Amino acid sequence: MEMPSGNASTRLIFSLGLHSAAIIAFQLALMQLLSIVQWHHFAYMIISVAMLGFGASGTLLALARERLLRHSEWLIPLLMTLSGLFIMVAFHITRMEIFRFDVYLLFVEQTQFPVLAANYLIYFIPFFTGALAIGLLFIKYARQIGTHYFSNLLGSGVGGVVVLLALGLLHPSHLPPLIGLLPVAAGLLSMPPQRRSLHLFAAGTALAVMVLLIGRPGHIPMSEYKDLARAMNLPDASVVHSKPAVHGFTQVVASPALRFAPALSLSFTGEVPVKKQVYVNGDFFGVIPTYQPGQTSHILDYTSQALPWAIGTPQRLLLLNAAEGAPVSHALTHNPAVLDAVIEHPGVIGLLQEEFAAVSGNLFLHEKVNLHAVQPRNFLAARATADYDLISMPQQEAFGGSVGINALEENYGMTLEAFQLMWSRLASDGMIAVSSWMDYPSRSSLKLLSTLVMTLESQGITSPEKHIAAVRSWGTITFVLKKSVITPQETAAIRQFCHEMFFDPVLLPDIRPEERQQYNSLEDTALFTYIDRIMASDKDFLDEYGFMIHPATDSKPYFGQFLKLSNFRQLSQVFGQEQIPFLELGYLIVVVTLVQSSILALLFIVLPLLKLRRGHRGKGGTLLYFAALGIGYMFVEIILIQRFVLYFGQPVFAISAVISTMLIASGCGSLWSEKLPARPRFPAGIALLVTLGLLAYTFFLTPFLKFSIASPVALKIFLGLLLIGIPSFFKGMLFPLGIRYLSDYDPGQIPWAWGINGSLSVISTSLAMLIAVEHGFQAVMGLGVLCYALAAASFASHRTFFRRAG
Amino acid sequence: MSRLARVHFKYEDHMGLNKAFCCILTGICLVMLAGARVGFPAANASSDPFQRERNRMVREQIQGRGVDDPATLNAMRRVPRHLYVPVSQRRFAYQDRPLPIGYGQTISQPFMVAYMTQIINPRPDHRVLEIGTGSGYQAAILAEIIDGVYTIEIVSELGQQARRKLEAQYDNVHVKIADGYHGWEEHAPFDAIVVTAASEYIPPPLIRQLREGGRMIIPVGSPYQMQQLMLVEKKEGGDITTRSLMPVRFVPFERAE
Repeated sequence: MEMPSGNASTRLIFSLGLHSAAIIAFQLALMQLLSIVQWHHFAYMIISVAMLGFGASGTLLALARERLLRHSEWLIPLLMTLSGLFIMVAFHITRMEIFRFDVYLLFVEQTQFPVLAANYLIYFIPFFTGALAIGLLFIKYARQIGTHYFSNLLGSGVGGVVVLLALGLLHPSHLPPLIGLLPVAAGLLSMPPQRRSLHLFAAGTALAVMVLLIGRPGHIPMSEYKDLARAMNLPDASVVHSKPAVHGFTQVVASPALRFAPALSLSFTGEVPVKKQVYVNGDFFGVIPTYQPGQTSHILDYTSQALPWAIGTPQRLLLLNAAEGAPVSHALTHNPAVLDAVIEHPGVIGLLQEEFAAVSGNLFLHEKVNLHAVQPRNFLAARATADYDLISMPQQEAFGGSVGINALEENYGMTLEAFQLMWSRLASDGMIAVSSWMDYPSRSSLKLLSTLVMTLESQGITSPEKHIAAVRSWGTITFVLKKSVITPQETAAIRQFCHEMFFDPVLLPDIRPEERQQYNSLEDTALFTYIDRIMASDKDFLDEYGFMIHPATDSKPYFGQFLKLSNFRQLSQVFGQEQIPFLELGYLIVVVTLVQSSILALLFIVLPLLKLRRGHRGKGGTLLYFAALGIGYMFVEIILIQRFVLYFGQPVFAISAVISTMLIASGCGSLWSEKLPARPRFPAGIALLVTLGLLAYTFFLTPFLKFSIASPVALKIFLGLLLIGIPSFFKGMLFPLGIRYLSDYDPGQIPWAWGINGSLSVISTSLAMLIAVEHGFQAVMGLGVLCYALAAASFASHRTFFRRAG
Repeated sequence: MSRLARVHFKYEDHMGLNKAFCCILTGICLVMLAGARVGFPAANASSDPFQRERNRMVREQIQGRGVDDPATLNAMRRVPRHLYVPVSQRRFAYQDRPLPIGYGQTISQPFMVAYMTQIINPRPDHRVLEIGTGSGYQAAILAEIIDGVYTIEIVSELGQQARRKLEAQYDNVHVKIADGYHGWEEHAPFDAIVVTAASEYIPPPLIRQLREGGRMIIPVGSPYQMQQLMLVEKKEGGDITTRSLMPVRFVPFERAE
C-alpha cells in the first residue's frame, strides 16, 4: 500500500471527484439521450449492462493486480483520459448507420441482435475504463480509502445534481462532449509532471473533439416508430419549438395533418381541429389547446370523457394530471366556478404560459384556472379542499395498447389509496371520472373498475351498482364513481347522451344486457362477464384472470403493470410467444435486464475466483459482506426515493435530493470512518446499527411521512435531510471499513470486493423493481434490512467467515 | 395499363427471366386469362418461384384461419407480395407477419390483408377508398377484384413508390398523395373504405363519403400487434354502428365450468 505526498494526494482526491462526477453525469445524460432515441426501458437495459463495467474492472484488477499497480502512476490518468474521450464520442458512434438499431425491429429482425451487442460494447467502454481508474486508485491507496471513497461519493452526488441542471439548459446531445472533458481534466491533474506533455496533447485532442461535437447542431436521430418521427413524416411538418428540460426534451410540432379527437363520436359531423402537438423525449404528450373566451362547446364533448357533464353540471372541478391542457380547455367551456388543474410537468405549464400563451387563448392565464405544478397524489394529500363536484383523471392506456411501456412507472395517483383520498375530497354529490382506451385482452378497464369497486368497499358501500356508471364508445370506456346514489333522472340523461353520441351504457343501476351493444358491438363479449364479476366483488375472478387487475396500491404503485410472470407460459400458449412483447413489454424488459446483468455479474464474480482459489482464505466473508452492501445500499436508496417522491410531490427534485443527500452523507461517513481502527467489531457494530435503524424505518417511516406531508416545505426539506442523511452517514462507513480490513487481512481480495460491490449494485436496481412489482416495496425494504444484517453477521462472526489468510 | 402489362411486369421486372421467355409466358397467360376475372393458370404457377410460397401462404395462413371468399383467395394467390416489400425483407415476404417498409410503416400480415378484403364484401362493380397506401399491396389485392380502387398515402416517398408499382400493373388503381383525413370527395360515395393504418379518430369526411349501407374497416393496435379490427357500418337512415372483430380469436381466460 502506498501513500501519496501531500500535493499529489490533494490532486488525486480532486481528480477522483471530478472523474466520479463525470461517470454519474454521463449515466444520467445517456439515459435521457437513449430515451429520446428509443424508449426509456431500453435505455435502462443498455445502461445497466454498460454499468457492469464496474464489475469487469474488478475482475481485471483481481486477475492482473500486480502488473496494473506497477504502472498505476501513469495508468490511472490514462484511464481517466480514455474514459473521458469515450464519453465524448460513444453516443455519436452509436448513431452511425452501421450501429443503429431499432428496438421495435428487435423482435422481427434477427440482424438487430449483433447491432444491439455492438451498442452494449460501445457504452461499456467508458464505464469500464472509468471504473478501472477508480478501482486502481482504491486498491493503491487502500489505507486512505475513507478519503478517496468520500471524494468518489461527493463527486457522484455533485455530478448528479449538476447534470440535472444541465439537462434543463442544454440540448441533450451536447452533454456527453462536455461531460467527457471532466475525466480528461482529471487525468491531466493526476498525471505526474514529467509525463504531462503527452497528456496535454490528449487534452488538446479532447478539447478539439468537444468543440467539433458541440459545434454541430443538436440533432438526435430516433427510431422511425417513435411518435415524433412519425409526425415528422406528415406533410409540412416542422418542429416549431424545442426546449431542453429535466423532465424530458420537449418539442412542439406543427403540421396541417395533426389533429386531436381521441375516440371521437361517429355522430360528430364538424371539422376536427388541427392542433400543434407536444412531444417529450419523442413520445406524444398532448396537444396545444386552443381556447377561445366564451367558447361553449369542445371536441371532447363528443367523446366518452364528457360523461360527467351528461350527468350533471359540476361547479367545483379538480383535474388531476391534466397533461397539456386539453382537459382544462374542455372543462372551462362548461363554465365552472372553480377549476384546479394539477400538472406535474412544469415545462408544459411554461409552454402554455409563455411561448404558446396566445395560441392557446391564454388558457393557463385564465382567471378561473388554478394551476398546481405538483404530483396529483401530493396535491390530494396536502392541499386539496373537500368539496369538489368532480375529480377527473386523464385517459389511461394508449390507443391500440401501450404494450406495457408504462408498466414500471410508479403512479401514486392511480392507487387504491389515491382513490380513497379522492373520495374524501368529494362534495356529497361529487363524482370521480376516469377513462381508458379499450384494450384487448381487457386489462386497463378491468383494473380501473376493480379499483373503483374496492374504493367503495373501503367506504362500507356494498352496492357498487348504485354508485358506478360507465359508457363505452367505439374506442374508450369512461367510468364515473358517484358519492351519492345515481338517480333515475341521471340514468335517463346518461342513456340520452349515449343515444346522441352512438355510445353504449355499460354500467347503470338498472342496466339491461341488450343495451350494452346497441351501437358498438363486440365479437368477444367476455368483457361484460368480467365486468359483472368485478361488480359482484368476485375476488376469485381477480386472482384467476390472466392479467394483473387487482388495484394498484402504494406498496405496488404500478397501475400500468398487467403481466403475471406466473402466467407467462399460459399467455405464450394462448397468444403465441412472439406476441407477448407487444402485449406487455415494459415489465419483460426489466426481467431481461435482470437476467443478462445477473449472468454477466456472476461471470465477473466467478472469474477472479479462479485466480483467488489458491492462497486466499476468507473469500466467503468478502463475498457476503460486499455483496450485502452492494444490494442493501441500492435497495434502501430505491425505497427512500419511492417514499420521498410521494412526500415532496416533485419526482425530479425528490430523486435528485435523495441520491445527492445519500451520496454526500455517505461520503462524510466514509471520511469519518478513517478515525476508526479497521477491526471487525466496527463494521459489525455499524452494520448492526444501520440494520436496526432501517428496521425502524420499515415500520415508522411511512406513517411519519404521511403525518408530516402537509408541513411547510422548509420543514419537509429539513426532515428529509435528517431521515435520508443519518442512515446514509453510517452506511457510508461500511465500504471503506471493509476495504481497510481487507488491506490488512488479504489485499489480494480488494479488487474482488470492488467488483462484487459494483456488479451487485447494478443488478440490484432491476432486482428491486422485480421484487416491488411482485411483492411490494415493503418486501424490498425488508430485504434491504436483511442485507445489512448479513453484513453485520459476516464481521460479527469473522472467525467463521474470515479465516486466517494462508 | 392492361392485364397483360400487369403480368409482364411480374416477370420482367423481378424474375430475372429473359424477355423472350417472358413474352411467350405472357402470351400464354393472356390467352388463359381471357374472359375470366379470377383464376390463374397452372402454367404460371409453376414458373413463378414464389408461387409455391404464395399458395402455401394462402392455404395455411389464410384459408386455415377461415377466410373463404374465392375472389379474395385468388387475389392473394396472384399478387406477388415480395414485390411490395423492401428488397432486404423479400425473403420474409410470405411469412405470417407484418414487415417494416420504412417511415415507421409496415406491410400488414398476409392474413390481415385477406381478412380486411373479405370483410368489406368486395364486388367488381364496387368503388373502394383505401386510406394509407403504404407499399401498395392492399390496393393491389383490391384491384384484382374491384373496378375502381382509390388509394391515398400521406407519406410522400411511400406514395410515390407505391404509385410507380401500382400504375405499372393496374389501370384501375388511382393513387393520391395527400392527407387521408379529407377522403376523396370527387369519387365519393364509396361502397367500402379500407383504412390500413390505425387512427385515434375516424375522420367525419370519411363517414360522409361512405355510401349508406357501406362498410369501413379499420385496424386497432400497434403495427406489429394487429389483433383487432373495427368494422364501421353506415345504416340506412344515417345511424353508424361499429363492431370490434377479432380475426384471430383468443378465448384466454374463460373458466371451465
